Formats: sequence, C-alpha cells, structure tokens
Amino acid sequence: MSPTETAQEATTKSLEAMRKFSEQYAKRTGTYFCVDLSVTAVVIRGLAKHKDELGAPLCPCRHYEDKEAEAKQGFWNCPCVPMRERKECHCMLFLTPENDFAGSEQEISPEVVAGG
Amino acid sequence: MSAAAAVTDASFQGEVLDSAVPVLVDFWAPWCGPCRIVAPVVDEIAQEYAGKVKVVKLNTDENPKVASEYGIRSIPTLMVFKGGQKVDTLVGAVPKTSLADTLNKHL
Repeated sequence: MSPTETAQEATTKSLEAMRKFSEQYAKRTGTYFCVDLSVTAVVIRGLAKHKDELGAPLCPCRHYEDKEAEAKQGFWNCPCVPMRERKECHCMLFLTPENDFAGSEQEISPEVVAGG
Repeated sequence: MSAAAAVTDASFQGEVLDSAVPVLVDFWAPWCGPCRIVAPVVDEIAQEYAGKVKVVKLNTDENPKVASEYGIRSIPTLMVFKGGQKVDTLVGAVPKTSLADTLNKHL
C-alpha cells in the first residue's frame, strides 16, 4: 500500500461499524464473503472511508461524477438497490453461495479488515 | 512489480489513443475489492501479449477526466483501444480466458 492510501484510511469507529454491518447483512441475506478475505477487507475499508467523508457508505466499486450528490441520492449506498432487490453486489462483498468466488465466511475479524 | 504501467489523465492521449498497437486499459480504484482479483490477470496478459498489446492501468479516483469521458461506472472496467477508438469493454472480475478471447478479436 502506498503512503497516500494509508493517510486516507478511515476512522476506527467507521471501520468497526462497517465490519459489523457486513457480518450482520451477510447472515441476514444468506450471502458469503469472498474466498479471498483481503477483497472483503478492502471493500469494508472503502465503505468506511466514504462514511467518514460523505456521511454514507457509498459503494467504492463505482466511478461517480459527483460523490456527494450520489451519497445524498442513495442508490449506491451500501446495501445498494441492486443488492437489496436482487442480491447483486458487483463489489463482491456479499456473494450468493453459487458464486465461484464465494467462500464460507460470514464473519471477518477487525485485524483482517485492517490488514487486507 | 506490476507489468501494467500506470497512465493518467495527462498521458492517456499519448500512451493509449496514439499507440501503434492495441491497448488494454484497466480502470481501477484503490478501495475496490474485485480490482484486486483482476489486477494479477491483467499482469499475466501483459506478459503474454508483450509486443502485441500494450497493457496499462488508470486509477479512476486520481484521473476522473478520462474515467468520465469513457463513461466508467462499475469498477473494475477493462477497455480495449485500437487506433484511438474504444473497441471493447469488459466489466467486473472477468476470467482470463474471456479477456484473452476479447483481445484476440482485435489482433
């Protein structure tokens, strides 16, 4: 990781909030984290960073013309509309069991989130 | 060390649009999980297609102009450019075979 990225890391409070949300939402929807938990970790960190910066966990796997406007509009705030309606998470945070990348975990430790 | 060189808003014209060979561009972002799955695939392609295809990556957070110009929404997005034109687009963590098949169409 570059020094710039480290400097931009999310607060511990948001990281923990997004970690817990991810665990609860995976269990509630019967979805699983990626077999490579470093993928899960980086997405949780991205969500936490957006929560700090924008006040909402805007999906980190999209490019936006205007992040503030998108966060306010809400379509891509996690869990996004495609996830809520069809269990589609292109960010690979919540994977349905038949997905080739789905692992067997619905839990992720703070240490893995921090280091992924 | 990544086999795919980084391009920016400033270097995109010269490195991608003016390239004599087809160019594969990996549009990625630092906090995108599936970008980490696609990156090693893109690196392997860069090595295997050396001399035939130029492979580069563009950080969409740092280079929003090019990302917006080409309508990047979902990340990762892979685009193939030939003769200054976008000729193909693949979205998401695509398997290596799909990427190779797409590139082969343009060689």
